[in-house]
Amino acid sequence: MKLLTRYNRSTIAITTAIMLVAAVAYYFAITAVLSRQVDKALEVEEHEVRDYALLNGTLPHVFSTNHQAILFTSVNTPQQRKFVDTVYRDLKDEELESARALYTWVKVQGKQYRVVVVQSKVETEDLIKVIFLITLGLIVALLAALFFLNRIILSNIWKPFYKILEQLKAFNLAENSSVKTVPSGIDEFRELDSAVNLMADRVKDDYQALKAFTENASHELMTPISVINSKLDTFVQTGEFTDTQSRLLNDMYASVTRLTRLNKSMLLLAKIENRLIADKQDLNLKILVEEALNQFEEPIIAREITIESHLDDKPMKASLLLMEVLISNLISNALRHNKPGGFISTELNHLKLQVSNSSNADKLNTENLFRRFQKSASSEGSGLGLTISKQICDMYGFNLAYMHLNGVHHFIITFAPTA
Amino acid sequence: MKLLVIEDEAGLRESMEEYFNEEGSICETAFDFSSAMGKVNLYRYDCIVLDITLPDGSGLDILKHLKHEQHTDGILIISAKNSLDDRLNGLDLGADDYLTKPFHLSELRARVAAIVRRKSFDGNNHLRFKEIDIELSAKEVQINDVAIKLTPKEYALLLYFLANKGKVVSKNAIAEHLWGDSVDMADNFDFIYSHIKNLRKKMLEAGGNDYIQAAYGMGYKFTTA
Repeated sequence: MKLLTRYNRSTIAITTAIMLVAAVAYYFAITAVLSRQVDKALEVEEHEVRDYALLNGTLPHVFSTNHQAILFTSVNTPQQRKFVDTVYRDLKDEELESARALYTWVKVQGKQYRVVVVQSKVETEDLIKVIFLITLGLIVALLAALFFLNRIILSNIWKPFYKILEQLKAFNLAENSSVKTVPSGIDEFRELDSAVNLMADRVKDDYQALKAFTENASHELMTPISVINSKLDTFVQTGEFTDTQSRLLNDMYASVTRLTRLNKSMLLLAKIENRLIADKQDLNLKILVEEALNQFEEPIIAREITIESHLDDKPMKASLLLMEVLISNLISNALRHNKPGGFISTELNHLKLQVSNSSNADKLNTENLFRRFQKSASSEGSGLGLTISKQICDMYGFNLAYMHLNGVHHFIITFAPTA
Repeated sequence: MKLLVIEDEAGLRESMEEYFNEEGSICETAFDFSSAMGKVNLYRYDCIVLDITLPDGSGLDILKHLKHEQHTDGILIISAKNSLDDRLNGLDLGADDYLTKPFHLSELRARVAAIVRRKSFDGNNHLRFKEIDIELSAKEVQINDVAIKLTPKEYALLLYFLANKGKVVSKNAIAEHLWGDSVDMADNFDFIYSHIKNLRKKMLEAGGNDYIQAAYGMGYKFTTA
């Protein structure tokens, strides 16, 4: 829910509730006030009757009006004075209307009379109705005004916020554009803006530092490995070796090679994860798959593995290096975990690339499959191959999935719709 | 062949110098930016092996200087910074090839040889060694004027051996040269053995000499004797 909607909803709800309570209180207050008014009119009438009786010694001559009536009844006992709610018969329409009556008494020449003054409350009720309607109209108008003012004022006030939000959404580390300052007269937004700018700058600095670190680490690690490798190359030129010596040398070569590959894999992974490889070129995945299969020609023949390929053209714009790594990783996995006389099948169309292989191994543990340094005991790889593949897929918005069906392992890359 | 190796790491520089210094080749070295600039301003080389990261400057500046002066020395960049920017930068600036550390000296030798060949023969080039004659542009090999048919990997292997005549080339170096990073299985070495067996057989059948010797379990050596 948008802030504006939420805010409007709460204010309108609360205002309406308050107005409702206020209206009820208002109604009763007005009614009470007007009742007092009517009671006063009745008292005035009472006084008039008494004054008249005192002055003239007779009961006043009364005639009923549309709203008021006075009745005299001769009584023997003294009467109580009281106000009561009653009904009044309209003279004209003969309708019963709510009314207010005053029971009182008067003494004329020693005789007790009960006096009942009745006054219709029709006018009062009409008045209340009018007042209530006017108030209701005012409330509705007020609410509407509140609603629209909120809308206009809030959306204006929050404009810088949405601008900052837009910039944050468009923020891209690899691009060199920086976040622009959004001017605003509101302190909170100015603070938010400067915080966002500060953060963006810091993130960019960190990113640059990381990039530099990756390269420096590469340099610092590769140099000693380089020296070892070149010294070994020089050393083997020096003369004859015994079997033991050449076995030791071969082990050293193998270890240096392994170290190099591990280092390269880790650096590649770091680079992919930090989006340091941004080059893009036109390439056709079909050609890359065919090249990879050729590259593995010897081990494929040696293991008597059958290749089934259904390859369509799949042009895309991506980093050649990363696509080569991705395809080579999948195919070398399919080869490495195959069985003698087994098969590898590759299928490529514009939607997906699927690499399937036969194997003696059971279904792989899908939970740890793409984690770093997860490898089977028999594997000679670094345990980074699938992690790198997954990262490459993530980078391009592809989906990399693993399936195990009828003893066949499938790795399926589903391409993003735009790629 | 006259070479200049510009490399600040003493261990690596000495190895390269020792590996390159052979009959008929002269290998000079420079260990920093200023001494390198001094040498490239005074002498011309068939190929300059250039490390990008130097203690007092960037190898790319030396490259720019050479191109600005329109010197035609071949240039092979070696760098531990396997960053794509550097690679593209270097090649855009006119370097002939780019090699990432660590590398085998035999690989370096093969790349340098390829650059020198390209520079000196302008594409229409033959590589001759005794009775072996290689037409490089067509990738055709003749022995005693008899054409022999080699697979792409056998051809690459023969060129690799010729660039490293008289040196022991380790199986690791051969595997990396032929298959790159992608195949890292121990049975690579069996494939090397079968490729070498086939290459040797084809050369012998065409009446050539047997130059390829196994070198004490380490690898192979292309003898010049």
